[in-house]
Amino acid sequence: MPTPHIQRPQTRRELLRNSAAGFGYLGFLSVLADEARAAESSSSRIDPLLPKPSHIAPRAKRVIFLFMKGGPSHMDTFDYKPLLERDHGKPLPFDKPRVQFAPTGNLLKSPWEFKQHGQSGIHVSALFPHVAKHVDDLCILNGVHGTNAAHGGAVLKLHTGSDNFVRPSMGAWVAYGLGSENRNLPGFITICPTLAHGGVNNWGAAFLPAACAGTPLGHAGLGIDQARVSYIDTRRVPRQVQRMQLDAVGELNREHLEQSGPEQALEGRIHSFELAYRMQSEMPEVESLRGETEVTRSLYGLNDPVTAPFGRQCLLARRFLERGVRFVQVTHSNAEVQWDQHSGLKAGHDRNAKEVDYPIAGLLTDLKGRGLLEDTLVVWGGEFGRTPTAQGSDGRDHNPEGFTMWFAGAGVKTGIRYGSTDDYGYYAAENKMHIHDVHATILYMLGLDHERLTYRYAGRDFRLTDIHGNVVKEILA
Amino acid sequence: MFGSLCLTARPGGAVAAPQAPAAAAAGERRFEQHVRPLLVEQCQSCHGASRQSGGLRLDLRESVMKGGKSGALFVPGKPEGSRLLAAVKHLSGAPQMPPGRKLSDVQIGALEQWIAAGAPWPAARPAPARSANHWSFQPIRVPAPPRVRQAAWVKNPIDAFVLSRLESQSLKPNPPADRMALIRRANYDLTGLPPTAEEVEAFVADRSPNAFEKVVDRLLASPHYGERWGRHWLDVARYADTNGLDENVHYGNAFRYRDWVVEAFNRDVPYNRFLQEQLAGDLLPASSDAEKRSNNIATGFLAIGPKVISEVDDTKMEMDAIDEQLDTMGRVTMGLTFGCARCHDHKFDPISQKDYYALAGIFKSTRFMQTMSKPRMWFEHSLAGPEDQAKLDAHTARVKAHEAEIARFTREATARLEASLPAGAALPSKPETSFNAEDKKQLAALKSALDQLKKDAPELPGAIGLSEGKPVNLPIHIRGSFLNLGEMVPRGMPSLLASRIPTQMPADHSGRLELSQFVLADQNPLTARVAVNRVWRWHFGKGIVASTDNFGALGEKPSHPELLDWLAARFKTPTDAAGGGLGWSLKALHRLVMLSNTYQMSSAHRPEAAAVDPENKWLWRAPIRRLEAEEIRDSVLTSAGSLDRSMGGSLLPLKNREYVFDHTSKDLTKYDSTRRSLYLPVVRNHVYDFFQLFDFGDAAVPQGDRSTTTVAPQALFMMNSDLMIDAAERIGARLAERTELGDTERLKLMYRELLARPSNPREIEQGRRLLARLRTAAPGDANGPRLWGWAAQVLLMSNEFVTVR
Repeated sequence: MPTPHIQRPQTRRELLRNSAAGFGYLGFLSVLADEARAAESSSSRIDPLLPKPSHIAPRAKRVIFLFMKGGPSHMDTFDYKPLLERDHGKPLPFDKPRVQFAPTGNLLKSPWEFKQHGQSGIHVSALFPHVAKHVDDLCILNGVHGTNAAHGGAVLKLHTGSDNFVRPSMGAWVAYGLGSENRNLPGFITICPTLAHGGVNNWGAAFLPAACAGTPLGHAGLGIDQARVSYIDTRRVPRQVQRMQLDAVGELNREHLEQSGPEQALEGRIHSFELAYRMQSEMPEVESLRGETEVTRSLYGLNDPVTAPFGRQCLLARRFLERGVRFVQVTHSNAEVQWDQHSGLKAGHDRNAKEVDYPIAGLLTDLKGRGLLEDTLVVWGGEFGRTPTAQGSDGRDHNPEGFTMWFAGAGVKTGIRYGSTDDYGYYAAENKMHIHDVHATILYMLGLDHERLTYRYAGRDFRLTDIHGNVVKEILA
Repeated sequence: MFGSLCLTARPGGAVAAPQAPAAAAAGERRFEQHVRPLLVEQCQSCHGASRQSGGLRLDLRESVMKGGKSGALFVPGKPEGSRLLAAVKHLSGAPQMPPGRKLSDVQIGALEQWIAAGAPWPAARPAPARSANHWSFQPIRVPAPPRVRQAAWVKNPIDAFVLSRLESQSLKPNPPADRMALIRRANYDLTGLPPTAEEVEAFVADRSPNAFEKVVDRLLASPHYGERWGRHWLDVARYADTNGLDENVHYGNAFRYRDWVVEAFNRDVPYNRFLQEQLAGDLLPASSDAEKRSNNIATGFLAIGPKVISEVDDTKMEMDAIDEQLDTMGRVTMGLTFGCARCHDHKFDPISQKDYYALAGIFKSTRFMQTMSKPRMWFEHSLAGPEDQAKLDAHTARVKAHEAEIARFTREATARLEASLPAGAALPSKPETSFNAEDKKQLAALKSALDQLKKDAPELPGAIGLSEGKPVNLPIHIRGSFLNLGEMVPRGMPSLLASRIPTQMPADHSGRLELSQFVLADQNPLTARVAVNRVWRWHFGKGIVASTDNFGALGEKPSHPELLDWLAARFKTPTDAAGGGLGWSLKALHRLVMLSNTYQMSSAHRPEAAAVDPENKWLWRAPIRRLEAEEIRDSVLTSAGSLDRSMGGSLLPLKNREYVFDHTSKDLTKYDSTRRSLYLPVVRNHVYDFFQLFDFGDAAVPQGDRSTTTVAPQALFMMNSDLMIDAAERIGARLAERTELGDTERLKLMYRELLARPSNPREIEQGRRLLARLRTAAPGDANGPRLWGWAAQVLLMSNEFVTVR
């Protein structure tokens, strides 16, 4: 029986539960931890985000997840299907799944041309000309499959491993398992997440300590320029006045504490105001791109209105990554379900790919140039792929039976395709990777054994992978 | 789709398989982990209980060993030559299985290994004797209050039970709280609102022996009592105004259930009746239309849960929703976690999979969906009276008239078109596309007016709730999968208590009424214990059983088991019984608890007691607690003088079933109302950010024990949010107007209004220093609303403001 990764604290359980915190709390927690160390040997009981040793030698220190909301079509991007082109217009020669999201017609060839790229000669479609230049840095997973054909369930499954229970997000598990390297920033940040299809559950901590939850910057309904941590400042009270207020609050609170006697929660609240004050000067510095050079900005496509929004998200993500944030998610979703082309496939995927292709290529270049790609795992994908069969004349339906994600960076074999779908791209066929296997493998790269990364809650040991998941070691460098 | 729905628990050695050789156990474990799921997910839709393609069945050990029509699949221990392996490897000459796709190498490897290991397949074994002796399943006893040394401290039997424990730990209870602290505590506990300065002063001055009793009675009679305790109940009822999960649509009538709960608390509806109406109100006799409506609304309890509303698979959707209701019912009423038994017998409590499907059959026979075709709609009881119907009929008539008008106009315009055509020319097949410009414009205007009219259709009032469906039984779902069905289970009650509470299940009804009777039966030891424990938790911040929603083997043990039983017994005993019980009255229970010395102790810290019992498990002092989210907001609004105390209704500006967020992330919900926090919309998956920050929770699962976190983002909210700054400015404006008063008088006033107490000279001195500093930052505004607002915000942010002690 595997030993749980971290014993659930017994004696200070209340404290852990009660003082687990959002990002700003980290500094305070280390203060608390210092104070508590005298009494308690294990400081991780106090601070769920103190850096922790991994189970096994890690290949990656951090993850950036580029989430393409809506389900990009694998047959039109990274899963070249010559037979689909040949048999265009014919019926699918085998059964469709028992459960489908909507009825579809006959086979539909890709409207985009595929070309071989790089040393590896991997086919990439004309949708991703810039990412294609990095194809030798990619580990393309063509045999991914999931279990849910609707957006809501599939998005939740991808983020939390469960489509019908509220469970901790993958990023929260990572923050919980490894802690945070930066004591003044959260361990998990999600930039412009979508509020639909599971919403906050997709970056929530569920029963894990609250400090592990993702900190959202804005959401998909806002522009990236408005993506900030909530309540980080106000124009209505001058900063110098706030300093005076906090001095006075501190004085009152200390007297109140003297009367009530030692009380952890009250002491904690005193610290929390000081930390909040510090954070409101530090966070804007990370969020601001002012210090970035013109070269970097154009690398991410900030000078082109089409690529600028997603480029800003990616650049922001890099700033968090280099400051030690463990898990950064960047969501590509507009106010619609961005990649969900039931119709208008040609125009829709053209537009979507244009928005992300250049910035993603820029991100890969930038991470490489800074030496960050060596220990950063880049993950690209949507909640499912699309059907090789047509919806109308120019659309494809949801398809969780087989689709593509790709990894890049730390620890993965590059310039390879792993796994495949059938001749047309409907079902994952060889070297299939279920979402649970993707999760297990991501954790493994970070040095976490998905069977040992457990959390005891309501009497049970929970895992990101539930009772499933296999680490796919074949893709490890 | 067929994935396991529940984590296989790791019992940490507590419940191990019967003694088996380690190797065999490992083989069986590998089978359960890698082989059985594969057979379930990949094979059994064609080779399972419902279909046996080729005469082959892969869900039972015997049939797997026997093989299909074409013979055996393998020889255990000999993978070579196995027909099963040949099929999954897609070897030539063998049938290619599964058809159209190939298993991964890992999966094929697992099968191969399993066969090589002799194909271990654990025999179905009788459920291990799980703890039927567990304390909470035992009948409630009525213990006599214990004898104590410090007998003078005992005001009522609660004190005797508490003191007895303290004395056994050599602890002494704290002295009584001072009156200012006590009335503040009582006010927040019962109404969620601070006392006014006048109320505090009156209580401090009241020397009568029943002064506190009068305060308690006054607060229990306040309508704000129902708002505060109704909100507690809504926590366990996982109340929300939207569905959450995959598609977040508006439960447009959920608010009626919320308002029903508030009113039920205010009317002190006996708890047994309160529960029964929520479980089976639609099946209870009613003496009036109003009562019928009220009973129907109560059934919203189970219906308002989150549902995977767009789940593609109808059966999965329904079974998931049944599971959600069943688990909620169990946790909320009896502290039992039935959900665990959906896929396998409960690992820790004596609840079998059979028990689960016996209960699930009741919910399957209950109607909670109006339509399963998409867009799906949940069931609603109609609350429409003749007036509502008349309004709708009038609207329908208007629509009809408008359509007739469009038809008339189209006819006339077509005639005009026809007249304008050259003789002999045929009328185009879609004449309206050829109308002249003026007619086209008019027709478009008429059509758009019709669209608008249709959109403005009045909604008939309804109540989301439960009703009777077709009575059916369910089979056991092996591993929770509806694609793998086992024996049929008649509807019925969990075997754990069934022998003590004989129940006759009706053939022509769901059995929901019988379920409610079972839950509330006198011999059911759980329901009353769970109820009094909840009330205790909401008064003392921690239950006698700390795990308020789990009374099973994995829950916590009671700290004061005799007290729990004494309270439970007294609570459910009828008022006219010998000795006089509380007859399930919650208000009577509050009085009993609050008039004890235990409740009225001070919260002062005593080092020698803290050294023995740092967590205050034995209750040597009253707890210190931070206000809950709603209390903080309501207090801030009260201080600002802007709290709107009107009750009931919905604040979500959406139609019933309208999306909160569909594919977009646009947030139309507003939280700028000044109504009590209870009435703000609760949007699952996107709870008001202030609520999120201050530990409101997510409203997806029953929550009887909210946590309290202390985090810096809360401090940011107190410093920077409009809610706080608006309130501070309003208070500032009020103080600035009092030009007849000097700084000292205004500071005194500020303390009195915001903290309901007099200030001391040191505080005034501090306040004067603060004012002097603030004035350096605001030259020219030495006494304005802004400056006084800044000063007031300091008190709003202080620990004292958000703490009850």
